[in-house]
Amino acid sequence: MTDPKVDGLIAEARTLRYSRRQVMRRAAALGLSVPAVTAAMTTSGYAAPNQTRKFASAPAFLQGSSIHILGASYFVVAGEERFREQMAEFGEQNGVDVTLDLVAWPDLQARIAAAIQAQDGVDIVQLWDPWPYLYAENLVDVNDIAVPHGEAHGGFYDWVVKTASVDGSWHSIPYGTSSSAFAYRTSHFAEVGYDSFPDTWEDLFAAGKALKEAGLPPLGQALGHSLGDPPSFTYPYMWAYGAMEVEEDGSTVAFNTPEFVEGMATFIQGWEDAFDTTGTAWDDSTNNTAFLAGELSATLNGSSIYISAGRPEADGGVPEIYEDMNHADFPQGPAGRFTNIGAQSWGVTTFAQDVDAARSFLDFFYGEDQLVSWYNANGGYYIPAASSFSELPVYTEDPKLAPFLNLVNYGRNKGFAGPSDEAAALAYSEYIVIDTFARAVGDGDAQGAVEWGAEQLERVYSR
Amino acid sequence: MAVAPNTQDLTGIETPRTTFGRGSFLQREGPLAALFMIPGWAILLLFMAYPFFLGIYISLTNKRLGRSAYDFIGFDNYRYLWGDSIFQQTLKNTAIYGVGTVPFKLAFGLALALLLNRQFRFSRVFRAGLLLPWIVPTALSSLAFLMLFNSVISPISISLQQAGLIENNINFLGTAWNARISLCVANIWRGVPFFAITILAGLQAVPTELNEAAALDGANRWQRFWAVTWPIIKPITLIATLFSVIWTISDFQLVYVLTKGGPANATHVFGTLAYQRGLNATYFGEAAAISLYMFPALALGAVLLLRNIRREPH
Repeated sequence: MTDPKVDGLIAEARTLRYSRRQVMRRAAALGLSVPAVTAAMTTSGYAAPNQTRKFASAPAFLQGSSIHILGASYFVVAGEERFREQMAEFGEQNGVDVTLDLVAWPDLQARIAAAIQAQDGVDIVQLWDPWPYLYAENLVDVNDIAVPHGEAHGGFYDWVVKTASVDGSWHSIPYGTSSSAFAYRTSHFAEVGYDSFPDTWEDLFAAGKALKEAGLPPLGQALGHSLGDPPSFTYPYMWAYGAMEVEEDGSTVAFNTPEFVEGMATFIQGWEDAFDTTGTAWDDSTNNTAFLAGELSATLNGSSIYISAGRPEADGGVPEIYEDMNHADFPQGPAGRFTNIGAQSWGVTTFAQDVDAARSFLDFFYGEDQLVSWYNANGGYYIPAASSFSELPVYTEDPKLAPFLNLVNYGRNKGFAGPSDEAAALAYSEYIVIDTFARAVGDGDAQGAVEWGAEQLERVYSR
Repeated sequence: MAVAPNTQDLTGIETPRTTFGRGSFLQREGPLAALFMIPGWAILLLFMAYPFFLGIYISLTNKRLGRSAYDFIGFDNYRYLWGDSIFQQTLKNTAIYGVGTVPFKLAFGLALALLLNRQFRFSRVFRAGLLLPWIVPTALSSLAFLMLFNSVISPISISLQQAGLIENNINFLGTAWNARISLCVANIWRGVPFFAITILAGLQAVPTELNEAAALDGANRWQRFWAVTWPIIKPITLIATLFSVIWTISDFQLVYVLTKGGPANATHVFGTLAYQRGLNATYFGEAAAISLYMFPALALGAVLLLRNIRREPH
């Protein structure tokens, strides 16, 4: 005997082409039993779109193919393990040999460049924002996968469209980003009188100074030549003090402003007072190590520190830090509160050995079940690109992770107020904004550093 | 194969003649020498000359990674770099890197070679061990230095802290001069064995009798070194220095692994800047120009040095 409400829902799902997740959400709204709806979907033969493809036997056109994937190393071990399982699963189902090459973040671009120059060696490649602009000519059009995927899951966020599409066209499929929030030790801040994380940059520097003076670990921030943590700090701080790389026209450099010079002078003092000053030599992993070793009271990072701390002790977890730490939004400056947010994505190279096989893998990976399992395995480390995934329990259950989802509300793209285009990608690749800060703390000359940064941005944006 | 009656060549030595006959193409010295040199020339052309001339050509274009269309732009890349403050900084860094390492490598290498030229117990073991920094892959030794110079968990900092000599971690790679000095130290460590072994080989060629004769004439140790040993090892020392200068200026791995040109470009050398501009920023033409910028000066220096060595009486 079937429930007419359930039958009605299945009929509605057929008409509106609901994904499995949408069916379940609708079922919850109607107060229907999830097992009953699941059973009805099975017996009625309803196949929700964007489900994992399951072939009775491997499709002939894929059999014997091989796919070589190039990506950046994982900071969340379980995420990498899940990805490898997915590769194996796809390979087994389709008779395809899938291999993965993970490299350190700063080396990823060089490896992509080498493959493009050789026109060989990589079939699927991981891209940071705004690299799709740099490599668009060597990436196949994947609109047919990206557009339905976005539409089926509540649509891609604006920040994703701005930073991963190339003039509105998809050359890679976004999955989200590993953006940062402030990870901090609640007990350390409480000890120096802060019951919550400071809300302005100046307050944060004052808190850091108090921490140092109290003999507690300082703040930590990487300012070396690295792609993750240094831009996570420098771009938002620049925006918070009213500067930006360029105006809205995408070419007029708006970096050297009196407010920013003043903000830089504040930072120079703050760096001495509140930070571990060896940060100028740090890369993306140094602050993780230092925080987990109890050497830092706060640092900007993805949720990987928290996830690592929460692992069993035998696997390197640090329970006392896991319990004590929390995350906070970026502080604000005179011009407001900002963060840098840009989507990461997977693309298929035009020189892939078997473009169809590579596209099929991405079609498989971006299937709802697969992608959700990957987000789950990453423990909330990656903010999703499409809105419906933000409701997954992995993002909502733990209040300590809430600041990561909140980033989308005040995020800006690299190259703001202009587009996240090729010039923005070049400025990012050449570490111009980062080096401006590193110069400032190196020689203590705020004005000189900002002038240098403006000169370099002029060079890049005038090419 | 039938062998014709023996004939005499110009040296007067009788050589068996094949049935190719006197006028055979392969019997003539010139063509035969050319034939034997073909494999060598082919390797040189394919793996050295072709990339070199291709690099020169690319440096004269605005070629970018992955873009099929590009134009010949003459010396624009070179002109552009001349006015670029990061490139100017790179020139200074490279000069500091060269001056801060080569003389030390030469001095330590020479001293070590003189030491190891003496016969003592396990001298052969020491000579072999000396090569260790040289034969360990640079990437590997660079990683070891990366660990030693780590800002947070450096064994050096920890040891000094435990000994009560310092309070805070040493910022080895985080300030401009600390990073430069750290790189120089690592480079010297890696480069000394090359000098030592090369000079040691030269020292082996110094006849013992000459030194003994000089000693009998009353020359002290310094006079013997300066008048007897140095003239003999000078050519090989100069050539080793020339190689070292070239290798130091074109270093990449050590700098890339330790600093990636940071902090704030304070340690960029030609290799790392070319990498950043070419592979990261996709400007291949500019990267090629960076790599080739020092070529004329180095080539001129090499030619003058080698001519000078050849002219010197032995």
